[in-house]
Amino acid sequence: MKILIVEDEPSLREVMQRALQQEHYVVETAATYAEADARVAGYSYDCILLDIMLPDGNGLRLLEHIKQLRKRENVIIISARDSLEDKVLGLEQGADDYLPKPFHTAELLARIRSVLRRGRSGGDLTIDLGNVSLEPEGRRVQVGGAELPLLKKEFDILLYFMQRPNHLIDKSVLAEAVWGDHADQADNFHFVYAQIKNLRHKLSEAGATIEIRAVYGFGYKLVTTTADE
Amino acid sequence: MKLIYRIALRLSLLLLPLMALWAALFYYAMVDEINDEADDALEDYSELIIVRMLAGRELPALNSGSNNNYSIVPVNEDYVKTHPRIHYRDAEVFIPEKEETEPARILTTIFQDREGHFYKLTVATPTFEKDDLFRAIFYWIIFLYLLLLLTVLGLTVWVFRRTMQPLYALLQWLDGYTPGRVAGPVPVDATIPEFHRLSVTTQQAVNRSEELFERQKQFIGNASHELQTPLAILGNRLEWLLDCGDLKEEQLGELVKMQRTLSHVVRLNRTLLLLTKIENGQFPESSEVDIAAIVSEQLPLYDEIYASRGIVQTMRIAGPLVVEMNESLATILVTNLLKNAYVHTAEQGHVEVSVHDRTLEVYNDGTAPLDADHIFERFYQGTKKEGSTGLGLALVSAVGRYYGLRVAYRFVEGRHCFTVVWP
Repeated sequence: MKILIVEDEPSLREVMQRALQQEHYVVETAATYAEADARVAGYSYDCILLDIMLPDGNGLRLLEHIKQLRKRENVIIISARDSLEDKVLGLEQGADDYLPKPFHTAELLARIRSVLRRGRSGGDLTIDLGNVSLEPEGRRVQVGGAELPLLKKEFDILLYFMQRPNHLIDKSVLAEAVWGDHADQADNFHFVYAQIKNLRHKLSEAGATIEIRAVYGFGYKLVTTTADE
Repeated sequence: MKLIYRIALRLSLLLLPLMALWAALFYYAMVDEINDEADDALEDYSELIIVRMLAGRELPALNSGSNNNYSIVPVNEDYVKTHPRIHYRDAEVFIPEKEETEPARILTTIFQDREGHFYKLTVATPTFEKDDLFRAIFYWIIFLYLLLLLTVLGLTVWVFRRTMQPLYALLQWLDGYTPGRVAGPVPVDATIPEFHRLSVTTQQAVNRSEELFERQKQFIGNASHELQTPLAILGNRLEWLLDCGDLKEEQLGELVKMQRTLSHVVRLNRTLLLLTKIENGQFPESSEVDIAAIVSEQLPLYDEIYASRGIVQTMRIAGPLVVEMNESLATILVTNLLKNAYVHTAEQGHVEVSVHDRTLEVYNDGTAPLDADHIFERFYQGTKKEGSTGLGLALVSAVGRYYGLRVAYRFVEGRHCFTVVWP
């Protein structure tokens, strides 16, 4: 899988590159509009991460250019301007996703995986991990082929973890993602713990080969138990 | 006190002593004139009597129906030396016909006949009652004062209103002015130089404050945007460290704490951007939103998040409250009010939300009233709460301003109450 990062800030470029390489993607980078344009014209990529505020041009124009070249690259727009117009405009011009800065690495990876999966399997978004398979659209979970009934929050939590396997997820980040913007300011995260406990119980009951592990007192990590052994 | 009332009050106070002075002058002038007339008549009368007497002719009858009377008394030389020949005075005289005393003007003339005998002739004519005149003048003065006052005040008000029209137009314009939302140019009246100057100066001040406001808004927006990339870098580096795997618990703990602090900064930054966007009116699309539905959807969520506090909540919803708003702004309005209530309620406290008559009310227990003047300002926090941005109520107020809602705070019976009223 080949990915092009178009980002003018060197430090962010480096961090993104490192994170992607760790996930075994082949990564190339471009710092300017001209550079990106040249790369897009010459090579093909599975996914382009596109910062739309570039020193020598608007990323949206590059997007237009990509579409004119009739290339089938997946494009994820990365923008410091979290504005609805930018988002709508970008998606209208054929971008596959829009990720406002600042973002979590896990979020970026999840978006890339999701976009690639969509591109590859013609709209089938099912995520498989161990013997667990999750359909985000249908909100269905199967463990070893058997249906696993989950409550709404449990499903949301599992989806969040399945999109970010092997990453340490801070409780406050999980709370914000599942309960909404204001949950991260709670005094304690008992409510997160309660849901995770139920979910864990259901997963192990069903004989899932994935497990949500507590990492000290800070957060959780989704791991496949078979891989660990 | 309004300018016009002040002018009216001063005019009436000034008129009072002026009218009194005028009344006094008028009174004395009047008395003088009347005495003069009476004196002339008395002089004629006494001349007639003296001439007749000296000529030895018959003197006029004492009572000729004219209320005039006279008396002639012989006097000696000593008396003549000590008294003036002609003397006018006012006195009370008994009128036998009327059997009462009346004020009269009296002329005393001392004359000499051919034999050299001195006589004193006293002629009296009844005149006006000074008290009556004084009273009449007094009443008339009061009446005139009131009449004049009414006329002057009426005219003043009328003239004032007409002349001050441009000032009132300017004041009205200023009342409707909110920074960042200019309704139109300052009204200018070119006919009166003072008003013209006032308008021009106001326009300049408004322009200046608009420019500052715009620049400040832009600065906050730009600063927040510029911060996004460094924040992303920092966050991603922290996450990379966290995912490294070979960290001790302590180190991991520090990293997680750093990450939470960073997410606080991220949230602050995001909220500032959101505020700027609301103030820039970048939420144009609106739809019909049911506030009651948002409340009943969000409240259980907070109940779950803050379950450890044992806060008791009451929700009283009279019916749907459908308003025309941007959906995410409506949610921001409701959630920030709810969050504020939950965050600032002590354990086992009580939160009450009520929706009725186009009004949303959020009550929560408190100990002392908050400063209602500053509570909706950015970063105003009575008690510092960790993790709180200090921008929640500023957001509520910004959304309120954007849609012209009435957002208010009051403290009733040991409870904070936030009210939002849709017009």
